[in-house]
Amino acid sequence: MSTAVPSAHAHAEGGHTPFLQHHFREMSQQFDAAKIGMWLFLVTEVLLFGGLFVGYGIMHARHPEAFMAAHHHLDKTMGALNTVVLLISSFTMVLSVWAAQTSRKKLLILFLLLTLACAGTFMVVKYFEYSHKFHEGLLPGKYYSHKGDTVPGQFLFFSFYFMMTGLHGIHVLLGMAAIAWLVWRAARGHFSSAYYAPVEITGLYWHLVDLIWIYLFPLMYLIS
Amino acid sequence: MTHANEHAHPVTSPKTYGLVLLALLVLTVITVQASYFDFGPWNTVVALIIASAKGSLVALFFMHLRHDKFNAVIFVGGLLFLAIFLIWTLFDISTRQTVLPSNLKTPVEEFPGAPLGGPVRPSTGQPRGMPAQ
Repeated sequence: MSTAVPSAHAHAEGGHTPFLQHHFREMSQQFDAAKIGMWLFLVTEVLLFGGLFVGYGIMHARHPEAFMAAHHHLDKTMGALNTVVLLISSFTMVLSVWAAQTSRKKLLILFLLLTLACAGTFMVVKYFEYSHKFHEGLLPGKYYSHKGDTVPGQFLFFSFYFMMTGLHGIHVLLGMAAIAWLVWRAARGHFSSAYYAPVEITGLYWHLVDLIWIYLFPLMYLIS
Repeated sequence: MTHANEHAHPVTSPKTYGLVLLALLVLTVITVQASYFDFGPWNTVVALIIASAKGSLVALFFMHLRHDKFNAVIFVGGLLFLAIFLIWTLFDISTRQTVLPSNLKTPVEEFPGAPLGGPVRPSTGQPRGMPAQ
């Protein structure tokens, strides 16, 4: 321990791992810095989605009948299916962090691929939901062209629906790109108990995407 | 030299994660079932309480916040600002007078289904004054 000089030999010999960047004293410092950075980013994400949630809350409070009528166009089963798929993907993601922490390379790759598969399933279900709505003219704002409504103003709900689930969907796609990058690095043997910060912080991001969906699901699909 | 982080970040067993997943799935079933009951004005509140229980499980276990007080403070701090944002906005809209179309400076563009709370032609659901479909 002690305030030891960040010994020259750690650098010279390539030390324990080549992944320690020179401006960090040791791996644990680098790891903690990466985590704090990710958490600060996640807070900005919470506030980004928070703005949409507040807008949704205001419009829902002002036009309860329109929101109530509009949400019947959504398929609860599809929404519940996607919730389950995303929860399972969070589970496999946290298991890949565990596999990295315990230096199990094959399991790490397996769990990352399972996470990718779940994310892909989520997007496919979303694709079917979206194309159904495009077909019916259930679109945001002035693009709304659904015929036979008895309650006016339903375009409002779909403005929020597409903005919120669309932004969430973009996050899922970006998460998939990050996880694919992790698979590539894991296959090259970069991760072990000594170095797994990228797996950990990508996991944090992925869980936040899951967390946002946990709130979106009841607000969009289960209004009663 | 030892790797400090191997001991500083405790490893949770897959079994614990499995139980958390099980709890999350059970709560998902509960929230779907709860949507078929009518709690009157509490419907949204009940849904949000269940969602928050699920969110807490994800944050505490999957995101390791139960071993990570420092980042928990950052996250909860962010949620605090979200709460201020939401509550102060609700203060505003709940004490404000209704916006009437006559108070608006520019006319609101009309499109199918646009007028909020306006009269509706019962046969088509389209607002009155629109050409019949």
